[in-house]
Amino acid sequence: MTDAVATRDALRIVGQPVVRHDARDKVVAATAYAADWALPGMLHAAVLRSPYPSARIVRLETKRATAMAGVAVVLTAKDVPRNTLATDVPGQTTAVGPLRATLHVLAEDRVRHQGEPVALVAAETLELARDAVEAIEVEYEVTPGVFTPEAALAPGAPPVHGTGNLLAQWRIARGDVAKALAGANVVVEGEYTTQLVDAAYLEPESGVAWIDSDGVITIRLSTQVIEHFRDVAEVLQVPQNRVRVIGTYLGGGFGGKEDVTVEAYLGLLTLKTGRPVKMVWTRQESLLSRAKRHPYRLRYRTGANAHGEIVAQQIELLADAGAYAYLSALVLLYSTVTAAGPYRVPAVEVDARVAYTNNPPTSAMRGFGAMQTVFAYESQLDRVARALGMDPVAVRRVNALRRGDTLPVGQVIETHVAIPELCERAWAALGPPTAARAPHIKVGRGLACNFQPYGRIVWLHDWASAWVGFEMDGSLVIRCGCPDVGGGQASSLCQIAAEVLGVTLTRISVHVSDSALTPLAGTTTASRQLYMSGNAVLKTARELRAGLLGVAAAMLGGDADDLDMDEDRVVTRDGRTLAIAGLLAECARVGVPRSHLGVYHAPAGEPVDLATGSGKVFPDYTFGAHAAEVEVDTETGLVRVLGYAAAHDVGRAINPQSVEGQIQGGAVQGLGYGLMEEVVVENGINLTTSFATYLIPTAADVPDVRAVVVESGEGLGPFNARGIGEPPIGPPAAAIANAIEAATGARITRLPITAERVARALGLLD
Amino acid sequence: MIARLVLNGRPREVEVRPNQTLLELLRDTLGIFDVKEGCDEGVCGVCTVLLDGRPVSSCLVLAAGLRGRAVVTLRGLERNGGLHPLQEAFVRHGAVQCGFCTPGMLLTTLAFLEREPRPDREAIRAALEGNLCRCTGYTKIVDAVEAYVRGELGHD
Amino acid sequence: MHPFEYAAPETLDQALGLLGEHGDEAKVLAGGQSLIPILHYRLARPRVVIDINGLLLGDIVVENGRLGVGALVRYHQLEESDVIARRCPVLGEAARLIGNVRVRTLGTVGGSLVHADPAAELPAVMTALDARLAVASPSGRRTVAAREFFTGPLTTMLTADEIVTGVEMDAVSSYGWAVEELSRRAGDFAVVAVVALVSLDRRGRVDDARVAFGGVADRPVWARAVEDALRGREPTADVLAHAAQTARDALEPPSDAFVSGAYRRHVAGVLCRRALARAVARALGRT
Ligand SMILES: Cc1cc2nc3c(=O)[nH]c(=O)nc-3n(C[C@H](O)[C@H](O)[C@H](O)COP(=O)(O)OP(=O)(O)OC[C@H]3O[C@@H](n4cnc5c(N)ncnc54)[C@H](O)[C@@H]3O)c2cc1C
Ligand code: FES
Ligand code: FES
Repeated sequence: MTDAVATRDALRIVGQPVVRHDARDKVVAATAYAADWALPGMLHAAVLRSPYPSARIVRLETKRATAMAGVAVVLTAKDVPRNTLATDVPGQTTAVGPLRATLHVLAEDRVRHQGEPVALVAAETLELARDAVEAIEVEYEVTPGVFTPEAALAPGAPPVHGTGNLLAQWRIARGDVAKALAGANVVVEGEYTTQLVDAAYLEPESGVAWIDSDGVITIRLSTQVIEHFRDVAEVLQVPQNRVRVIGTYLGGGFGGKEDVTVEAYLGLLTLKTGRPVKMVWTRQESLLSRAKRHPYRLRYRTGANAHGEIVAQQIELLADAGAYAYLSALVLLYSTVTAAGPYRVPAVEVDARVAYTNNPPTSAMRGFGAMQTVFAYESQLDRVARALGMDPVAVRRVNALRRGDTLPVGQVIETHVAIPELCERAWAALGPPTAARAPHIKVGRGLACNFQPYGRIVWLHDWASAWVGFEMDGSLVIRCGCPDVGGGQASSLCQIAAEVLGVTLTRISVHVSDSALTPLAGTTTASRQLYMSGNAVLKTARELRAGLLGVAAAMLGGDADDLDMDEDRVVTRDGRTLAIAGLLAECARVGVPRSHLGVYHAPAGEPVDLATGSGKVFPDYTFGAHAAEVEVDTETGLVRVLGYAAAHDVGRAINPQSVEGQIQGGAVQGLGYGLMEEVVVENGINLTTSFATYLIPTAADVPDVRAVVVESGEGLGPFNARGIGEPPIGPPAAAIANAIEAATGARITRLPITAERVARALGLLD
Repeated sequence: MIARLVLNGRPREVEVRPNQTLLELLRDTLGIFDVKEGCDEGVCGVCTVLLDGRPVSSCLVLAAGLRGRAVVTLRGLERNGGLHPLQEAFVRHGAVQCGFCTPGMLLTTLAFLEREPRPDREAIRAALEGNLCRCTGYTKIVDAVEAYVRGELGHD
Repeated sequence: MHPFEYAAPETLDQALGLLGEHGDEAKVLAGGQSLIPILHYRLARPRVVIDINGLLLGDIVVENGRLGVGALVRYHQLEESDVIARRCPVLGEAARLIGNVRVRTLGTVGGSLVHADPAAELPAVMTALDARLAVASPSGRRTVAAREFFTGPLTTMLTADEIVTGVEMDAVSSYGWAVEELSRRAGDFAVVAVVALVSLDRRGRVDDARVAFGGVADRPVWARAVEDALRGREPTADVLAHAAQTARDALEPPSDAFVSGAYRRHVAGVLCRRALARAVARALGRT
């Protein structure tokens, strides 16, 4: 299909399940995570947070806390040089328009959600810092709040901010939906509800800051976005080149470390005290205050003809942004674009809104708006199939997008769409059906597909840069500002450089995620990092290789095109070799650089008018199909997943083991979303601020996940890879719901699918 | 006050505060960062250490109460500078992503295999139920333990 | 954690002396699996923590057909002890369902009973077994029936200067047993737990039945009605179902943010029937 396939056999390291260099460190715990770091004279920090979801701050008195022995400083809003933090598009300038996405570093006269930060303390010990937080006196006057988007948008609702509560609205209209629905053989209507969800990585938000030489405020923390150094500089009102962010290897990110977490606080405290400061959020704090995944209400009307082909979808989405905008407008855009699923739908209307409430704020989380919609569109499609007596694979095969098709938003699909193959392979991977082990147990299977954009919205003009250079001994150094969230990001960069430059993997060292010392590569979000940094390293390595082989050609005689680099040597067609060290010495002698800085620019485009469906929004998409076998205890409603298979077209698997790991991990997060995870909020109060109440799946709750890796050889990443970070989290909830209906006839439309909800749907509690 | 323990085979006496946990003793006082902190309430398992050979949440143990008992952290597995075969299995089988759960997983697994040397996959999953992992989805962790049990890496 | 003083008495008398001295400003520390989280959250701020782990309360003994379990016996001992497996296997089955493996390393029988979580397994087992708790205070000793000990969520009859030293119960080696529970996630506290013990006479009729629930009220619930419905009857599926139904109808479980009372009640009925059926099957296997 493309050059990647043609050269497939020629690939040496790309495509191999090589052992990740970071895994070796991690099994002996040699990796220094953000909290595994201490400096002499270091202070410990704590945050005072609002207990109320909506209140005015009437009095804020820090005298008693400040006077406590061992307390270095207590800060409130008035101590912050610039108390506004922009949260529009992390790490990037934007042309999206006025998103009004800002928040206060510390609350001023109002708090808008429980857990909103009000004051900071730095003290000699953590216990003292916590004591001082307790000693700060705050008087609140509770004000009326709004706790559902419906209530927020009702006339006369108390405004969360000065403006109305409608934060953003996107609309798509294509074709004559009313007419198509009127002519449809079946019309299925459904309302679906998805819940508030936490990223729940095991490593809480954490970091240490200090003032380095030349007054550079240096913050070493767990972040997906080192470019926040600019935001910190704005808050501190210091020049941007006086703030340095060092990103550590993360103990998980999943979008939750995309927005600013501890860095602004750390910057402030180290600036005010002149001393190193450490801040580690407790699990409670993390669950209480960090932005989460949006809950949605999704209303669908889906019409299909007698062949099961969808003729129209009418879709209404309503999401809860919580108290601050963060990335809500963009999350909603992803939902809007993906709302009709990876299917050909001639007539579509989407009306999508997101509202402010006094609930915990929501922002980026793995799936980024493209996963709530999966639960709805895949439930709908299953119901269409059921109404027509079609099997789940067939209905998806007839509807699947094909290359050249146009999405409702006007974007033409330019790469292969493997949906039919993915469905068949996922379904087959479940193997022979399991027999029910008791009369009250019913077993059933379900299928769900999805598509997830990878790479940033094209009008954000995304780019990434990397530096690749040889040392004199032939070892290689890669520098790239890409944070490694645990998915093997850094390791993949080594594989790509090794492939191009013929360097043994163990002779490569990679430095990532340092805003001062590694060329910026953008955020590890949006499934973009392999795509962007991978392409940057690929391009840089190729450019470096061209320069080096020019010198080699002169040494060996002949044409540079006839030379290859392999096993730390230059090799000619006729088998002569030149050791890399010899080549490098020659480069030094003739003045040819042994290193190179390269920049990769993603294909860019202009903002589209969604309503008229005018064009391209995302660079490309990753497609997937998941199949689940479940058993349902028809007496209690308890659901157990017996078997699970997840198939994705990854274009090209740079490291098949890492790809499988992403798929398996994403699928299990998706199962958690489907079956148990929920941040329960009552009138703005979070009732799930511990791991004993916010439940994520354990090893005993989920089955093995069969990862089916399909390589179409088409994708925009290096060697035609597609992004695979987010896509696997999309389908599980729908696959489970579909399997439950297949087993029992009961349709669940609300997440998570708890035993009680199933029991109700089965009529057990009537 | 003084806490007494045998830490990775070495007797230690360390000055502690009465309200200091074993986790705080290890990380804050002794700088042993192979024990992580994830929840402080016994649920997540990243702070797992072996106490007289059994897994405990070091976040829920008072350092003052150790009474000379044996504490093993991940670095207690080191074999002449090389990897323990279970560590090797985790590396080979891709059982490590972010790695934050890894030390606890390894220790829990070893304590479990002491008592049940030939478990099947289901038993492995049940044994690891108290060690959360948010990245891997567990399949490759179970693969790694199974491979180690089968002795694929020279174990036995 | 708030600062506190730490005391590690070596004997029961020393411990009681300290308790007498500090009263409700003191907290007893056993396995710490509930107390330490409470201290972490600063929900309790004792001035003194009295660590009783140095006391000799860790024995499992059988005397005159009665089983005695010391307050400091750990859950993993209940799982692994031969004496328990022979004399009172329901304790082992219940212990295996508690929390995760780390909780089972340290958590103690006494701690579980005094902590008195309404959904906890051991309080329900002791209620079913009609166990008696041995309690010591500076002013003397007393025993308290498990069926009276629990007075509300996380509250018991114990006064601030008392220590539970152990529990005593009938050895129930001739009983079939089962613990059934449903939890929201593997290893989590039960939404509903049911403990059932059944013994049969020579004709296969129910001689004795003991049933208790966890998670359906503010304390463990002894389901006396089930026992009356079963005693002397042949344990057919219908009889068991009817008995379970009777038990269920007597319950009025509260709702919380995660599970409704109606669902708890429904599940209690289903699990009760299953527990009885398993207990009967085991009893048949034994007679
Ligand atoms: C992650 C996790 C999961 C859990 N899951 C479950 C579960 O599924 N089921 C379950 O039942 N429990 C569960 N627990 C709680 C666990 O069982 C605790 O061990 C138990 O509740 C308390 O026992 P302890 O020995 O740890 O007591 P501690 O925590 O030391 O003490 C608890 C309370 O009892 C008092 N106390 C302790 N011993 C005595 C005594 N002998 N005399 C007087 N007072 C005493 C203490 O002062 C304190 O108030 C879980 C705990 C954790 C951390
Ligand atoms: S930190 Fe101890 S179990 Fe989570
Ligand atoms: S590898 Fe990240 S938590 Fe397990």
